[in-house]
Amino acid sequence: MLDEPTRILIAAAICWANFMIIDLFFKLPESGGVVGATAIAEQVEAGGGKLNGGFMMGNIVSSPDASAGTLLASCGVFCAGLFGGLFAAALVYIGNRICYDPGYAGTTGCITATFIVYGATQIGFAASDFIAGMVIAILTIQGISSIHASRLIARLWKVRCRLIRGCR
Amino acid sequence: MIAIFVCAIIAVYAGLRVVFEKNTMRKLPFLNVVSFAITGTIALLLPHPLTILAAAAYFVGSTLESNAIASTWAGGIRRDD
Repeated sequence: MLDEPTRILIAAAICWANFMIIDLFFKLPESGGVVGATAIAEQVEAGGGKLNGGFMMGNIVSSPDASAGTLLASCGVFCAGLFGGLFAAALVYIGNRICYDPGYAGTTGCITATFIVYGATQIGFAASDFIAGMVIAILTIQGISSIHASRLIARLWKVRCRLIRGCR
Repeated sequence: MIAIFVCAIIAVYAGLRVVFEKNTMRKLPFLNVVSFAITGTIALLLPHPLTILAAAAYFVGSTLESNAIASTWAGGIRRDD
């Protein structure tokens, strides 16, 4: 069995991939969901970042998206097992509705993360690894450099637009 | 045990970034990291089935606050016209 720091780092990579794939699929970098998200994106762009990356960062700030879903799913599985994760999905959906958001990305991210985290607990991981992992994953996007994070998201957004049509 | 320290250290780090970032709108992503880290810490400190309600309530509440700050700062409804 792996030791705890290694498990946390692996969990961080899994959480990062989970929320990034779902957020890109649900077009979070396309536009700001509320005026606040658009304003954050404009400020990130003014600081030297990319607008599409800024939109996604603003949307993550303004409403529970797939990253919040992944965190709350990990917390749910940690506190109450598989049922806790699915209950967290319902809470994320309510949170989305409160924050004036359709709620697809957050709820989908929470449900997929519940099964990922629950599956990982069956093969030697702990749900606590995924809580710390998700905090590290969000740190890399929101907490280190808004310029570099927004450029990275903008690059991934271009890849997504090339693979799946429907981008503006 | 390491997981709690990771969450707590990241919360303090992001809190300091909020203090030292000058631009109000660019403070909010750091505030978002604080919310994530504190939600994780709440769940890790209190392993009880009801904790998920407390963690989700804290997280959704702090997100709504960030949303309100950002939207108000951006001009609110007037900007939508």
